[in-house]
Amino acid sequence: MAAPDDLPLQRFTIIEVNDAKVPLCLRLATSLAAKIAADLGADVLKIEPPGGDPVRRAPPFLPQGESALFQFLNTSKRSLVLDLEGGAGRTALAGLLDKADAVLFEEPASTAAMLRASRATPIEIAAFPAGMDAAARPVSEFTILALGGLLHMVGEPERKPLRLGGHQVSYAAGLTAFTGLAAALAARDAGHTAPDVRVSLAEVMQWVNWKAASGADASGISPGREGKLSEFQIVPCRDGHVAVVYTATQWPATRALIGDPRLDDPKFNTRAGRRQNIAELYAILTPWFADKTRAQIQHTAQARGVPFGPIFSPAELLQTEQYAARSFLANMDHPTLGALRLPQLPVQWNGRSFAPRPAPELASELAT
Amino acid sequence: MSTHPLAGVRVLDFGLLTAGANTSAMLADLGADVIKIESGAYLDPFRVVGKPDNEDGWWNRSPQFRFTNRNKRGVALNIKDPEGQRIIRDLAKHCDVVVENFRRGVLDRAGLGYRDLSAANPRLVFAAISSQGDTGPERMNVSFGSTLDATSGIASLTGYEDEEPRISGMDVNYPDQIVSLFATGIVITAVMEARRTGRGAFLDFSQREVASFTLGEEILAASADPTRPSGRRGNREEGVPQQDAYHCRDGRWIAVTLGTPDAALEAFCADRDSAATVAALLARGIAAAVCNDGNDLLRDTALQGVTLVRDDRGGLVKGLPYRLGGKGIDIERAGPDLGQHTGEVLRELLGYDDAQLNELADAGVTSTTPAIGDV
Repeated sequence: MAAPDDLPLQRFTIIEVNDAKVPLCLRLATSLAAKIAADLGADVLKIEPPGGDPVRRAPPFLPQGESALFQFLNTSKRSLVLDLEGGAGRTALAGLLDKADAVLFEEPASTAAMLRASRATPIEIAAFPAGMDAAARPVSEFTILALGGLLHMVGEPERKPLRLGGHQVSYAAGLTAFTGLAAALAARDAGHTAPDVRVSLAEVMQWVNWKAASGADASGISPGREGKLSEFQIVPCRDGHVAVVYTATQWPATRALIGDPRLDDPKFNTRAGRRQNIAELYAILTPWFADKTRAQIQHTAQARGVPFGPIFSPAELLQTEQYAARSFLANMDHPTLGALRLPQLPVQWNGRSFAPRPAPELASELAT
Repeated sequence: MSTHPLAGVRVLDFGLLTAGANTSAMLADLGADVIKIESGAYLDPFRVVGKPDNEDGWWNRSPQFRFTNRNKRGVALNIKDPEGQRIIRDLAKHCDVVVENFRRGVLDRAGLGYRDLSAANPRLVFAAISSQGDTGPERMNVSFGSTLDATSGIASLTGYEDEEPRISGMDVNYPDQIVSLFATGIVITAVMEARRTGRGAFLDFSQREVASFTLGEEILAASADPTRPSGRRGNREEGVPQQDAYHCRDGRWIAVTLGTPDAALEAFCADRDSAATVAALLARGIAAAVCNDGNDLLRDTALQGVTLVRDDRGGLVKGLPYRLGGKGIDIERAGPDLGQHTGEVLRELLGYDDAQLNELADAGVTSTTPAIGDV
């Protein structure tokens, strides 16, 4: 890695304010956005409430008992505990804001009015759109997934809808907030007035799920979860599962790969035909996978340009050749937790990766 | 929009489908002048997969294309023709950013890769978005939407309790949707650096890595404890006492997250209509929401916020994922017809005249109709 003084955002100072009473799902988004900026070299100061950011006590946990979630979301930052319920804490924060380029915080924060009025550009994370006036409404990532229509899209049509694994709602919002932050910094850098940025989890999920709105608008019928009626399904193989995926133009190659003459029936020639005969199609496809490993399937499918997707767990991703070759997973030496291995920012910039530095210990005074 | 953080930035856009085309769309939303390059022989596949009919001009009517490419200008130049390649290299001299998500090697073979374009314009920020990234043994692997749900790890954590993994599927293609939310911010950061230093950058994005990055804490936890249990838990979530979708009397599903377990919740929901159940739960301080579908999203304009807008032809298109300066965006131009702005752009940036433009059209270097039918 290049020296920290050579990083692209190193001339910017950013404050992240974690209010004690804000829902966890908003806090995760704020912390992810600020983490990306910090890994890119920005001086990110995380203001934690007395007792620390509650994410320090959120799962998953490392064997030592520390939160893996906190360690991932707070790399390369500094931290300072301030009691923002009190005047002294607020005065200290005001002094820090005077020297900052941007401040990230969540909408129900007790200090929101003060943060919006500061000379640092406000980047605000909320649960709901500004027009809904719903800052006090109880919220979770899961309920936002339902409101945004994404929950409706996964699972069997006759069974309950399913959430996507991971913190997809908060993290999609965090990525959005990072891009909003970058836009604000670019405007300041060019001497323009920077727009304040407001990201709501509900809007991000609808934006991500735009095909549902587009499909409903075009046909009157909303797309929805199709499960075993979908052209793309998961099938078991010798050592796990594989996602069957191909484009319309890749169907002939897929048919040739499976090599079963029953697939030559013209009823399978079009997407519509395959969907009408989906159970029969999968009855023919499935046995081909049963005696092959994921590696064999991926190798033979890719050789024909067929994009089948072997399913990997997080633990298996640690062993993937592609990630090793690209050094996507960084080894980070933590002063108290020892060697940790975690994803770096998913970009290589002129071949350079941005190695994360360990998340800060809880501190009531700024280290210099 | 009153504030344009990227005013004065020009983007040469080879982006296709969502991952590439939406990254440049987000740059356009921030004020960049985005010039989308296609050709009659290679349309953005969204023009084809979304075609509503086979009547003349079908390639200009796809809702998916129009959703994603509003606020751009459209140029059609044959990138396999040496003259088309030369013109694109000339255009690149007038641009700050290139966005592309071709399979690795396609632009290099056309003499339009980073090496060639940055030689002509060292300030160029070149965003290459691909399935696996530009290096490594799997760099040439193809993927399509949900391939990456599978290979990134997301599918392994998605599914009914202890059943097989699940993908987000063709109508979501989740990994394709999130890459632009990250890539746009990195491109902006690189544009700032190019302004400051006079040097551009090659930005190599792996869509699979972006999707795995969203499981950062899971990968970190697995690295510290390889025996850590993983897999499908339905709608449950570690650290959350009770969370699931419940079926209400009116046949609708609602999502509920409880801080304290309540065994009576299922029966409570089954006895009531969805709206009444959600209202009752919210009043008790419990997070609850109706499971919306696409039509619900179209109807609920307050919930929509700034995410959907109408273009100047009245078509519904993608808005913003965030509010900037308190506002959403007005669509200044609808998604371009194939080659709609070829003449305008070549005149404005390269000084072409009518005779030269006619010559290019006659030679098939430029076009306004496709040479293909299916993708």
